[in-house]
Amino acid sequence: MTVLKTSMRNFLAHKGRMALSAVAVLLSVAFVCGTLVFTDTMNTTFDKLFAATSSDVTVSAKKSSDTGETTSGNGKPPVMPAAVLDEVQGVRGVKSAEGTVFSTSVTVVDADKDSLSPSSGAPTIVGNWNTNDARTMEITSGAAPRNAGQIMVDADTADKHGLELGDELGVITAVGTHRAKISGFADFTVTNPGAAMFYLDTETAQRTLVGETGVYTNVNVTAESGVTDDRLKKDVSAALDGAYKVQTAQEVADANAEEVGDFMGVLKYAMLGFAGIAFLVGIFLIINTFSMLVAQRTREIGLMRAIGSSRKQVNRSVLVEALLLGVVGSVLGVAAGVGLAVGLMKLMGQMGMELSTDDLTIAWTTPVLGLVLGVVVTVLAAYLPARRAGRISPMAALRDAGTPADAKAGVVRAVLGLLLTGAGGYALYLATAADQASDGSLWLGLGVVASLIGFVVVGPVLAAGVVRVLSVVLLRAFGPVGRMAERNALRNPRRTGATGAALMIGLALVACLSVVGSSMVASATDQLDKTVGTDFIIQNDQTQPITEQAVRAVKSVDGLERVTEYKILDADLITPDGERSKNETINAADPSYAEDVRTKTVAGDLANAYRPDSMSVFEGFAEEHGIKIGSPVKVDFKDGTTATLTVRAITSDEVVVDKGAMYASITTVAKYVPAEDMPLDILVFATAKEGQQEAAYQALKTALHDFPQYQVRDQTDYKEALKDQVGQLLNMIYGLLGLAIIVAILGVVNTLALSVVERTREIGLMRAIGLSRRQLRRMIRLESVVIALFGALLGLGLGMVWGATAQQLLALEGLKVLDIPWPTIGGVFVGSAFVGLFAALIPAFRAGRMNVLNAIATD
Amino acid sequence: MTSAVTIPRHGGTGGRTAVAARARQVVKAYGAGETRVVALDHVDVDIARGQFTAIMGPSGSGKSTLMHCLAGLDTVTSGQIYLDETEITGLKDKKLTQLRRDRIGFIFQAFNLLPTLNAIENITLPMDIAGRKPDQDWLDRVVDTVGLAGRLKHRPTQLSGGQQQRVAVARALAARPEIIFGDEPTGNLDSRAGAEVLGFLRRSVSDLGQTIVMVTHDPVAASYADRVLYLADGRIVDEMYNPTAEQVLDRMKDFDARGRTS
Repeated sequence: MTVLKTSMRNFLAHKGRMALSAVAVLLSVAFVCGTLVFTDTMNTTFDKLFAATSSDVTVSAKKSSDTGETTSGNGKPPVMPAAVLDEVQGVRGVKSAEGTVFSTSVTVVDADKDSLSPSSGAPTIVGNWNTNDARTMEITSGAAPRNAGQIMVDADTADKHGLELGDELGVITAVGTHRAKISGFADFTVTNPGAAMFYLDTETAQRTLVGETGVYTNVNVTAESGVTDDRLKKDVSAALDGAYKVQTAQEVADANAEEVGDFMGVLKYAMLGFAGIAFLVGIFLIINTFSMLVAQRTREIGLMRAIGSSRKQVNRSVLVEALLLGVVGSVLGVAAGVGLAVGLMKLMGQMGMELSTDDLTIAWTTPVLGLVLGVVVTVLAAYLPARRAGRISPMAALRDAGTPADAKAGVVRAVLGLLLTGAGGYALYLATAADQASDGSLWLGLGVVASLIGFVVVGPVLAAGVVRVLSVVLLRAFGPVGRMAERNALRNPRRTGATGAALMIGLALVACLSVVGSSMVASATDQLDKTVGTDFIIQNDQTQPITEQAVRAVKSVDGLERVTEYKILDADLITPDGERSKNETINAADPSYAEDVRTKTVAGDLANAYRPDSMSVFEGFAEEHGIKIGSPVKVDFKDGTTATLTVRAITSDEVVVDKGAMYASITTVAKYVPAEDMPLDILVFATAKEGQQEAAYQALKTALHDFPQYQVRDQTDYKEALKDQVGQLLNMIYGLLGLAIIVAILGVVNTLALSVVERTREIGLMRAIGLSRRQLRRMIRLESVVIALFGALLGLGLGMVWGATAQQLLALEGLKVLDIPWPTIGGVFVGSAFVGLFAALIPAFRAGRMNVLNAIATD
Repeated sequence: MTSAVTIPRHGGTGGRTAVAARARQVVKAYGAGETRVVALDHVDVDIARGQFTAIMGPSGSGKSTLMHCLAGLDTVTSGQIYLDETEITGLKDKKLTQLRRDRIGFIFQAFNLLPTLNAIENITLPMDIAGRKPDQDWLDRVVDTVGLAGRLKHRPTQLSGGQQQRVAVARALAARPEIIFGDEPTGNLDSRAGAEVLGFLRRSVSDLGQTIVMVTHDPVAASYADRVLYLADGRIVDEMYNPTAEQVLDRMKDFDARGRTS
């Protein structure tokens, strides 16, 4: 009981000093809970949405996907004849049935030919206005489309692009471009998932999307009351002889939920991973806080021991304090997590997806997990300092308070740390030496973990050396103030080490990823330079196929030497070893593709792969199935018949562009796939005549002006786009790592704040003998900068080694070029100095405000 | 008696006043209304240049407050304090800090040294902070005087209490301040170490012409001074020149007795 009481009092007495640790726990817990609440809410929202948008039973073509997505290779949705509708209407138990036609392989443009597609990557959907839609949307102004000249738009898209009634829009499909004027706006009555919706009347929809009337993509069936969906499904299926896909509302919702769930799952675990890193960093902060509180309380603890407290009681009193901290931090963290989730939902709203807080889903496991995690981590982190507190001798009560004795970094620590770092280094070396990526990645993982722990352990020992070097370079210029800052940073290496290590973790990951990312770009650029022999690439950034009209437009451009079409087809491959490899991809292209992208071969000449009934396979596939030049491979096209092709070339696996591609000519493929099922081009390459590149580039852009969904890029643009893509991904990861870095900054603030408290008397003395406020503040700032730079130096060094190792390993996968992004590394290093300055703001301000006399008189 | 202004304002030392510091009608009060406590009650005092002045008085008499106010560590409620001809009351923190750094030396009762700096670094700290180069000859002389020559590279934790205070004395002397303030500088030392430190202070006044003001409650310490000021209830109640320890003790007993009878 007394233990609890003293713990409570201590906790409350030091609530200021506990605050930052509590914030660290709070942030980590909030991130975990926020992630869970957000993903759960998204799932709830989607479940509701799918439930609301599905009919009791839906009939669709066999080829359409379970989720009702209609993107198919030829750019048109799979359809069924109108007769199916009549047949379904005749089935017993059917109250009503309605044919619908819609497609997502569309682009809608405004009068200026600017695309109205959502920038978030959400689909653009064009369909006929039907009762299903009327259930989830209401017409807010104007009217539904009644003839070919009319189109209705969802209100959110209209708002975003400032569309008004009567504006002319263009609907671009594989069939052609259809123009219509806006007749009305419809607003979502359920959550708008961010898609752009456009409605035409049924006949126009059929003509525009499919190119013929009398066809539907779906038949939506409503059951008579008393008839279950399952019953109805059976009857409808039987009536259609199983020629079409029949799904109940539940099945459609489940299929959709599964797809969304997969994505949400990835999102969830990625975010939880980053929360885990933040927790790891938070542990350092908590260890430091308790170490410093125990050190500052040495005399008090000595007194407790002198008057009869057992080691265990002292130990326990510290742990109980940690427990209180964990509980407070976690409870606030859970609350903040819900807030964070709401914030994320608002953010999604900004991006076009309106999420309602009514759907806010907090599973009972979420707060429980947050609390348990927060409390357990805090108490575990406080264990070491608590044990140290228990070891304080009763004699400490009698000693002069002063500053606690310098904690010397021990020999054991140095040896252990170096051993671990060495083991990590060796594992990393093994990773670079591995000749199989899978073996290597295991060593890489081991190496990363061992070297990280090694650095953390050896950190205090390194602190002494690194801080001295940093001081020689940076602090000496500041004279005695710099010297005192250096001494202060050095006086407790364990503290400086732990504070720096917290920052090290986040920055090591940043450095590692930046090295890998920039090596990726450099390797790809290098490969492009070496292999790409074409000038322009035409593609859609959402990988929509390129319509025939657009291809014709490209081919009509003057000054082009050649245009290469490139398609991908699904097929099962039956190899000579008798195995059937399912769902492989065949890359069908014009023979000139061999010149456009000069992929290295390990056997045969790639040009021969484009000869009739020929193909190429990639190295790994060839080895796995014992394929040699001349081996026959049966190719069973999904949309066609089975062909027997001869392997004429085997491509190298050490490539970045088109890795794992199996080529055949379009002419060969066309023999086995009927023209109507032939997929549209996914890429088109154009090569200008010698010396006409500039003119051809402009001409291509002009020719594709009517097709804003396609981008023309020359090699420079393409590299730039590639760099941007990698850059965006990296920025997102950096953003998430920001959480760990914020916690680390809190750690620096915490260490400084507690140091300032600990050195109150010293500060008073210095102020008395003439240190100005400014000098005092500068001294604290410099100490902070040195600690931050120490962490940055270790982190960046470690991260670059990791990154270089990963690159060496990935060289097996074509990541040949090691590129260390010095500007980023340098920027992070300099940025860390600013982080140090920033972290010192409040501690320095408070130190400056101390009353000199009170400070001197402090015990 | 609330005034100790007994020294003529102008002496013969090259046009500079013979008074190193003076207080005029200084009041220091804490709180307001019923809880108002007056620590200094209209005190007038002149500190003679080149003299060793001791301030004595029972606990709560205001002796430390007076020293803190004279030294620019504390602010006054009303009245003026001059250091030489500079009025320091009303100066901003920046000016006050400079003044303490360049013109005043301090010796505290305990915790005089920065643990991260060695002895010589501690001694030259005020000059380092000011960005001034120490006068090497003078520094050597000071170090010699306090007998620290062999221990200049030692950290405070490697020095005894007496040695630490001697480093503090050396620091106070090294910058040649106009005036040194000591706040019970021997309060934490045994009598032998205390006598050593007091001996150095005495000699720095006699031999080097240093001005020193020291707060103490130890009659033996006070006997090293040229002049003793007695404070009680925030007023100067008496003074004594060239005292012996016995005289000081007797005078204090007097005050004690008077305090009890009144």
